[in-house]
Amino acid sequence: MKKSPNFLKYLIFLLLIPAVVFAGVAVFDSKQYIFIAVCVSILACLPFFYAFENKKTSTRKLTVLAVMVTFSIIGRTLFSFIPHFKPVTAIVVITGIYLGAESGFLCGALSALFSNFIFGQGPWTPFQMFAWGLIGLFSALLSKPLQKSKVLLCIFSALSGVMYSLLLDISSTLWYDGAFNLSRYAALVLTSLPVMAVYAASNAVFLLILAKPIGQKLTRIKIKYGI
Amino acid sequence: MNDRITFANFHPVSLFFYFAAMLVFTMFTQNPVLILFSLVGASLFSAATSTREQIFADIKFYVPVFIVISLTNPIFSHSGATPLFFMNDNPVTLEAVLCGVDIAAMISAVMLICKAFSKVMESEKLLCLFGKAAPKLSVVLSMSLRFIPLFKRKFKEIKDAQKALGYFKSGSFSESLMSNARVFSALVTWALENGADTADSISARGYDVGGRKSFALFRFKKRDAILMTITLVLSSVTLVGFLLGKADFEFYPYITQINTDALSVILYAAFGSLSLIPFIFEVKEALHWKYLRSKI
Repeated sequence: MKKSPNFLKYLIFLLLIPAVVFAGVAVFDSKQYIFIAVCVSILACLPFFYAFENKKTSTRKLTVLAVMVTFSIIGRTLFSFIPHFKPVTAIVVITGIYLGAESGFLCGALSALFSNFIFGQGPWTPFQMFAWGLIGLFSALLSKPLQKSKVLLCIFSALSGVMYSLLLDISSTLWYDGAFNLSRYAALVLTSLPVMAVYAASNAVFLLILAKPIGQKLTRIKIKYGI
Repeated sequence: MNDRITFANFHPVSLFFYFAAMLVFTMFTQNPVLILFSLVGASLFSAATSTREQIFADIKFYVPVFIVISLTNPIFSHSGATPLFFMNDNPVTLEAVLCGVDIAAMISAVMLICKAFSKVMESEKLLCLFGKAAPKLSVVLSMSLRFIPLFKRKFKEIKDAQKALGYFKSGSFSESLMSNARVFSALVTWALENGADTADSISARGYDVGGRKSFALFRFKKRDAILMTITLVLSSVTLVGFLLGKADFEFYPYITQINTDALSVILYAAFGSLSLIPFIFEVKEALHWKYLRSKI
């Protein structure tokens, strides 16, 4: 009995996104893609936040999540002297692998939101939240194979760097043109190729170094405290 | 640091409402008059609340961004009816150039408004705003904010202890890298254990019982109501102007005339005042301070 109202609420979330898209296209004559895109990326994060708020979560899980988010924020500040070479994705992926899909998504989204208090909030924040959240989510879905094979871990981390870069380029295209201009997007992707390469490389390097030790510690804490 | 920003002294609800209105209107419009107002208001506020070095750093950042965005638009957009010249057989049109400038101004304005937002809305204010709606996420936020200085201090403590044990001696790069990695590893273990202990402590104090009340630093005073009312009135007028199509502006195929009828002027005045509110408060407070000091 208790399940149906929750189910309804998720349905509303699911319907909200197409509703916003259609309303946006109808009202603004499809000129305000960026506004629609910002709305959609926020709406896409909301169900995760909502589920998290409405579920009984042990305080231990809360604090461990806060610890992981803090490490990614500190990592972003520590490596701020090398542009784009950041351990954030690595820590999000580790959280996803060892603590599950929900923690993975939240760690990604919250790392983006909170670290932007230090590095500056901007129109890119919702996209970053969504992109990093998705990376955490996917790493949780691939948890088993990623724990087993280092090669797969490398490929996954490099791909997530590429995906992150491609997604944020979409948002820049929408900002610059107000619409999706394919040639602009291609140009942006081309100019961001070096950055993309740095992203991919840094993700792989940090994951190779950090995945095993932090993973072991997380597993230990999970067994010791029953999280 | 934020004590020096007068606008930051308002209640979080009023501030959030103000910034939400400014962001939505600025993102929505293509109208150069409105974007100009938004850009001027945000830049003036940014300048009024920054030191001279920060202002120079901002100019160094925003001017190139502005130029790059406005110059690249005609390369990618070939709409528009007035070709200026041809580049690689593609027309570079007057409309595309001006549209690029307009978009660049819009993006700069949005970035400056976001910057003002981060300056004015510290984490405490956000906790006050969203603490009720998202209690768990707020707890995670406040814990993370507390953990950052805690972990930094602990890192130093562990490092000092390891130095006393004889690590970090040779000073070579590889040794310092390995030693730092060892310190970091110890920190992670400690942080997770400490997190679990913190969790038990939180539970022991009755967090799970529910009905959590948070200490609110902010009280909704008369001045907050005034700011809220002003924002509400001005943004309603702006919204009506938008709905009546007074803010409509097209770049392609021909640039439309800027509306100058009475209703449009009211719209411009309303939005102009709205975007200047934070700057006006800063100036008012600065003048007041000068006046008080002159009497000493």
